[in-house]
Amino acid sequence: MLNLCQPVVLLLLFSQVFGAIANPELLPPGTAYVDYLLPALLVTTVMGPATNSGVGLVRDMTGGFLTRLRSMPVDPCWILLARSVSDVARVVAQLIVLVIAGVVLFGFVPAGGPLGMLAALAVAVLVAWTLTWIFLALGSWLRDVEMMQSIGVISVFPLMFASSAFVPVHAFPGWLQVVAMANPMSHAMRATRELALGWSTGHTLPAVATCVGFLALGMFCAVRGFRRPIVG
Amino acid sequence: MTELMIEADRLTRVFGDVTALDTVTLTAPRGAVLGLLGHNGAGKTTLVNVLTTQVPPSSGTARVAGLDVRQGDQIRALIGLAGQFAAVDGQLSGLDNLITVARLLGAGRRAAYARAAELLDLFGLAGAARRPARTYSGGMRRRLDLAMSLVGHPEVIFLDEPTAGLDPESRLVLWRIVGRLARDGITVLLTTQYIEEADRLADAIVVLSGGRVVASGTPAELKAQVGTSSVRVTPVWPHGPARVLDCLSEAGFRAFAGPGARSVSTPVAEPGLVASVVRALDAAGIGVSELNVTEPTLNDVYLNLIKPEPVR
Ligand SMILES: Nc1ncnc2c1ncn2[C@@H]1O[C@H](COP(=O)(O)OP(=O)(O)OP(=O)(O)O)[C@@H](O)[C@H]1O
Ligand SMILES: [Mg+2]
Repeated sequence: MLNLCQPVVLLLLFSQVFGAIANPELLPPGTAYVDYLLPALLVTTVMGPATNSGVGLVRDMTGGFLTRLRSMPVDPCWILLARSVSDVARVVAQLIVLVIAGVVLFGFVPAGGPLGMLAALAVAVLVAWTLTWIFLALGSWLRDVEMMQSIGVISVFPLMFASSAFVPVHAFPGWLQVVAMANPMSHAMRATRELALGWSTGHTLPAVATCVGFLALGMFCAVRGFRRPIVG
Repeated sequence: MTELMIEADRLTRVFGDVTALDTVTLTAPRGAVLGLLGHNGAGKTTLVNVLTTQVPPSSGTARVAGLDVRQGDQIRALIGLAGQFAAVDGQLSGLDNLITVARLLGAGRRAAYARAAELLDLFGLAGAARRPARTYSGGMRRRLDLAMSLVGHPEVIFLDEPTAGLDPESRLVLWRIVGRLARDGITVLLTTQYIEEADRLADAIVVLSGGRVVASGTPAELKAQVGTSSVRVTPVWPHGPARVLDCLSEAGFRAFAGPGARSVSTPVAEPGLVASVVRALDAAGIGVSELNVTEPTLNDVYLNLIKPEPVR
């Protein structure tokens, strides 16, 4: 329950704190700050849970039920798939609560209509799925809880803030613009904005394609890593 | 010839510069209980991990139910493993843990429930079936873990120190279960640090030390290696086991003290030699507070083979 509300709390903080200092001239004309912010929060919301997924996998690998599964005739693909599905399902619930709260409490207007909003949610879920698999891959190779936690913290903040999530990229100093443009999250956010806000959707397809590419890579590495014996 | 369910041939596993298993050769026929005895770090868990396809051998071969351990999935369908640390999901109830395993093995909903209920009964866990496993005591977790490894009707089962940390009563329960498995024709490989346990349960015993097999045979054979009887001497305070050890060694006996023990044991080749032991102690001026002559125990075998440093 608390988990479900967490993104809403962030929406409240970010919309009030950054909204207070956001220069409306930097935003695309006619876009309220909450409209700019919320589609990006769909993407930032999925990052933390994805890192937790990797940590959880390592925890399970070094003690719990997973050690048993390794001695059973069960294909590891299914174990990883089940884990990613259940972890992503939880995130989906968070995303839905976030959107509803955004519309009802914060005056978020998804100008792209219900279909656009759904498409934006679908992109966010794809991003969640992809990040989850990437962290599952890291976990199944590194097999170290503390290292996974550090990687989570170290990667989430730059991915979240060195992006177009809170401020349009062209407002950044030059070097940060380069970083933010290279950040795949910026592209995912661009896609969710295009879909949710009814902008022209030129960036959506490349972003989705990139995501699928990362997803395939993550899945491949995760299964390979997970199949390795406990040691050596 | 009986069918061999476990075979290891010059099996070696190296971790960095540690040789955890060093040319281990052993076999177990169908329905046998093979006891693997060894102190901490002897290589017991490593051997179990290799035989359960979780760690590949560095060299040598190992077969389980006639299949090479490199054929992972086929073997995993035939074995059950209760590892050194219970692999149960603490969030799930005992019942759900068992059902999950059964479902993963391909059983239908109803069959899975039936099998789970049967095992809960067998292991005396029916009363706690619906409680989360994290609320179980250590002994209950162990029993649940063992039950989970039996869900798929394995032909070979591996138990890594199944009674470590259990009270004598739970230990008896587990011993009875292992006995029943063997009667049902299931081959059991059981590691333990308890000599008594190996003696009670095993048809054959392999003693590992530093990754090598230092002795193997039936419990009776191992005892026979040591001598006909064993003399245990407890000196009068302030003499410690060290004094007794020195004295007996000088007199030509192989003597050893268990870790932390006040007494010293020495196996003798014939009963007449008991008197020589007493004479040697007397000559050295060591008072004896207690002296037992027993059949050699596996403890004697074990201590004789492994020769731990006596605690002084
Ligand atoms: N993954 C590993 N990496 C490095 N060394 C290892 C690894 N696993 C085991 N070893 C080493 O191999 C040796 C045998 O370990 P093993 O766990 O098989 O012993 P054991 O007989 O099961 O001991 P215990 O009674 O303490 O459980 C030890 O020296 C251990 O440190
Ligand atoms: Mg061990």
